Amino acid sequence: MNPPTSLARPLADRVAALPELAAPTIENPPLPPDVIAAAEEALARGETHYTDRPGIPEFRAWVAAHLLDRWGVGVDPSEVTITCGSTEARYVAMTLLAEPGSAVLCPGDSSRIEGALRLLGARVVDSIQADVRLLYITPAVYRETALELLKQAEDRGWWIVWDLSFAALDDFHPAQNEALAKRVVTINSLSERMPGWRLGWMAGSEAALRLRAGKQAITICTTAVSQWAGLELVRAGDA
Amino acid sequence: MIENPNIPEAVRAVAADGTQLRYALMEMAREMEDIITLGRGDPDLPTPPHIVEAANRAMRDGLTGATDVKGMLPLREAIAEHMRAVNSLALGADNVMVTTGGQEGLFLAVQAVINPGDEILVPDPRYSSYDDAIKRAGGRMVMVPTTRADAFNLEAEAVEAAISPASKALLIVTPSNPTAGIVTEDRLRAIAEVAKRHNLIVIVDEIYGKVVYPPWRHFSIGSLPGMAERTITLDAFSKAYAMTGWRCGYAAGPADVIDAMARIKQVTTGPVATVSQWAGLAALTGPQDCVGEYLDIYIQRRKVLLAGLDRMGFAYGEPRGGLFVWADSSSTGIHAAELSYLLLQEGRVLIFPGTAFGEKWRDYVRITMLEPIETLSAAVERMLPVLERYRM
Repeated sequence: MNPPTSLARPLADRVAALPELAAPTIENPPLPPDVIAAAEEALARGETHYTDRPGIPEFRAWVAAHLLDRWGVGVDPSEVTITCGSTEARYVAMTLLAEPGSAVLCPGDSSRIEGALRLLGARVVDSIQADVRLLYITPAVYRETALELLKQAEDRGWWIVWDLSFAALDDFHPAQNEALAKRVVTINSLSERMPGWRLGWMAGSEAALRLRAGKQAITICTTAVSQWAGLELVRAGDA
Repeated sequence: MIENPNIPEAVRAVAADGTQLRYALMEMAREMEDIITLGRGDPDLPTPPHIVEAANRAMRDGLTGATDVKGMLPLREAIAEHMRAVNSLALGADNVMVTTGGQEGLFLAVQAVINPGDEILVPDPRYSSYDDAIKRAGGRMVMVPTTRADAFNLEAEAVEAAISPASKALLIVTPSNPTAGIVTEDRLRAIAEVAKRHNLIVIVDEIYGKVVYPPWRHFSIGSLPGMAERTITLDAFSKAYAMTGWRCGYAAGPADVIDAMARIKQVTTGPVATVSQWAGLAALTGPQDCVGEYLDIYIQRRKVLLAGLDRMGFAYGEPRGGLFVWADSSSTGIHAAELSYLLLQEGRVLIFPGTAFGEKWRDYVRITMLEPIETLSAAVERMLPVLERYRM
């Protein structure tokens, strides 16, 4: 019997809108020996089971402390979820905070969210429209533009996804504005330093528990050994 | 609906959502001391040492860069070879992808196949974590009944009776979570004929396929004539090799649907952690003694747990596979969610209520055998007095 090439019925319509498969990232920066040692120690003590679905408490506490120390943004560790890279964080946030048929406002590079929005049946726009529900924004956006859009978000009650991954960081964070903080989800990733370990996080907002459940429904939890390795890396200040 | 005011709002508020109900109970248990947890399907046994060592070697050698979103080729080839040999499926590497655990495999398959309004037939009771995947795709679940009298086997006639013009797929979970029943080969042959007659896609979750209790045996519906082009087979390393935390599973099917699932994975979660893929490769290509050793342990535990259930007055369909017992608790006269809460609070034993796996299963509970025999025995001793106190 030959291996089958085609499914007996048509694929779902949403598949046609998705990008073709891309080649994997080739960068694989060496990791400090302490990171590998921490991963091996975790395995040796039996960290091979499901973790808490939002991630190991130590990593969630680090994320909350990091947001506070770096930007003065207060997030409870219970509002942090460790994800399979920032890809999963973006997908979960987009699909739970935007709605099918709605628009996501993205001033800048939208390549990282387009696929998720096509799956959802939402679209990306680069200017304010009546059906915008969510602002996806990164630190790369010109600051005056960002401030104007964040003001619009405040006035119109949009969700805000603030994506720190692959961005140069400064001291600004939208959740420093208390009026916005409950609607800001911060996303970041360790993929620049640990691309094959699939580690990211999303934190904050009054939707945090819903986002956690959304992640759980897809992958249950993030790879345990990756979390322990990543924790060692961030504690050493190397990510 | 749980109306007992003695049950905390945290439990009552999520009682209608099976997944959230399970997690509410787990989180409650986590805050308590000296709890015996017979809830989550997470093997207590360790990942076998040769698998851990393969992961350690990969990490030390720096072989942890990102892979193709379908997974690294040596692992996909090993999966295809394994499924050819063990499951009699006709597969090449193009028919296989690596997933972030078995649950993601189901999510990807449903997204790749189901359009809004399509119906997917689901055996009742069901693993309710799959509800979200179906809902996200806009699909509609249509329940196919199974019964204790039939050991929760799936009948072709029941499947056919549930089919409508909107039916597009049939989900089979064998061995079943939560019932521990298996769909036997004769039934699968009849179901395959129904699937072909009505042009259904079959999504089959075989994650417990290596945990089947003799004389019963696992059979893959995708191996039957005319089924390869309409079957998506899902599996994972989590249960048979005690690897839940590695988040590594796989999906197999026609090349075009695997390609579609990979394109979805690319924009939802990305490739599986590379270290987990090395561990998965070691699991499939290394010695398989561990699978049999673990099965022997579960066989011994099953005897102890079933004897305990007899003492508790719980009936059950014969557990033929998987890591659970699906027990009829109707002799207590207590709603299963309330019973689970009482057993947690007063017996310090966590089990899951049947309503976490389907609204109507208020007289059933799911109990895992994922603790040593001594602990299972202790759990029974803890539950007995609680039952005596509250039995109606």
